[in-house]
Amino acid sequence: MKNQVSETDNRIQVEICPQRLLNPETAQMLLSELSTLDGISKAIIHGPRLPMTVSAGPGSGEDVDHAGRKVIMIADTALELSISVGRIRLEVDDADVKEEVRTICEKVLPFQFEFKEGLYFHNRLTVSDYAKYGPDANVEMLGLSDPKSNNPICILGSKE
Amino acid sequence: MAYKAQYYPGATSVADNRRKHMSGDLEKLREISDEDLTAVLGHRAPGSDYPSTHPPLAEMGEPACSIREIVEATPGAKAGDRVRYVQFADSMYNAPATPYFRSYHAAINARGVDPGTLSGRQVVEARERDMEEVAKVQLETEMSCPGLSGLRGCTVHGHSLRLQEDGVMFDMLDRRRLENGTIIEDKDQVGVPIDRKVDLGKPMSEDEAAKRTTFYRIDNVSFRSDPEVIEWTQKVWELRTLYGFQPKN
Repeated sequence: MKNQVSETDNRIQVEICPQRLLNPETAQMLLSELSTLDGISKAIIHGPRLPMTVSAGPGSGEDVDHAGRKVIMIADTALELSISVGRIRLEVDDADVKEEVRTICEKVLPFQFEFKEGLYFHNRLTVSDYAKYGPDANVEMLGLSDPKSNNPICILGSKE
Repeated sequence: MAYKAQYYPGATSVADNRRKHMSGDLEKLREISDEDLTAVLGHRAPGSDYPSTHPPLAEMGEPACSIREIVEATPGAKAGDRVRYVQFADSMYNAPATPYFRSYHAAINARGVDPGTLSGRQVVEARERDMEEVAKVQLETEMSCPGLSGLRGCTVHGHSLRLQEDGVMFDMLDRRRLENGTIIEDKDQVGVPIDRKVDLGKPMSEDEAAKRTTFYRIDNVSFRSDPEVIEWTQKVWELRTLYGFQPKN
C-alpha cells in the first residue's frame, strides 16, 4: 500500500452545525451561496437518512415519499437530497475564505449555528479505502462519500 | 388523615409534571376520535370489531381460583382481545414525556399493561382495547405534544436528533408533518399509508413545551437545581446498594 498523502495539509477544514435540521429550501440557499465562493475545495453534507422505502417492521417495502427528499440545484448541478441536512463540512483555502463562509451562514441561517475548525476529511488512505478503491485511489476524493453508499461524489460545474 | 400518594420529590416544574404523569392527574389538550386513533395505531380497520384470540372469559368456564375471584379481568381480557402495542418516541428537546414517565403512567394508572422502557422510545403492550385506552389518554393530554412526540411502531429515530426547522421532531418515515399550524398524520405507526389525514392538534410553543416537560435539561430546569430530587435519588441509590451487598461467608 502506497503511503499517499493529500496535498491539502495547509488548507483549513470547518464544520457548520446549525441548531436545527435544515429544510431543503434553506439547504439549497446555503449551499448555493457557498458554491459562489472561490476557495472551497471539498464539501460534505451530513445528516439523518431519508429512505425511499420503509426498511423494517410490518410496513417494509412501502414508499416513504419524504417531504424532505427533493432535488436541489447548486451551481447548475442538480442534486437529490437523500438526507436531512444537519452538518456541512468544508475544506477551504485560507482563513479569509473561512470568514466569508461564516458571513454567509450568518446571512442565510435563520437560527444559531456552531462554526468549528477541525479535521473532518481523510488526508491519507485508510484500510477501508484501500479495500474499496485499491492502491491507486485518488487521495483528494477520500472521505467524500459514505463507503456503504452508492451515491457518487458530486463535482459542481461538471456534467458528470 | 387519609394517605395521599407522593409520587415524586422536588419543587421544580419538571418534578411537578412528573408527579402529574405518574398520578394520572393530566390536563386534556386535544380530542382524537376513536376511529382516528384506530387508524394511526394500524392494528385493525377503523370501525371493525376487535379480533379475538380466545372466547370471552364468561363463556370459557374458568377454573376455581381465589386470585381470579379477587382480581377482575380487564375489559380486553374479558372479551378475549389480541395483545397489541402502542409505541411512542419523545424528543429530548423538551417533549412533555420521557420514556420512563410514560411507563410509570401506564403501570400506575392502567391494569393489564406491559410497559417497556427504552432510551428513546416507550412501548405499552396490552389487550387491544386496554392498550387503546392508554394510548388515547397519552395522546390527548399534556403527556404528548404532536410536534415533539410521535407514534412510532418502528424506525423511531428522532428522539435525540435536533428538531427540524419548523420545530417538529425528525421522522425518517414522514408519518406526520406540520400543515397549516397543526400536525397531520397520514400513515400508521409503522409507516403504512392510511385512508385519512388525522389531525393530531397544534404543537406546543417552545415556552409551553419548556413549562410542561418532564426532561431535566441544563438549558431549562436542571436536575442539579432541585436539592430534594438529588437527596432522594442518592438515598434510593444508597439503600439499593446496601441491600444488594450480601457478603457470603
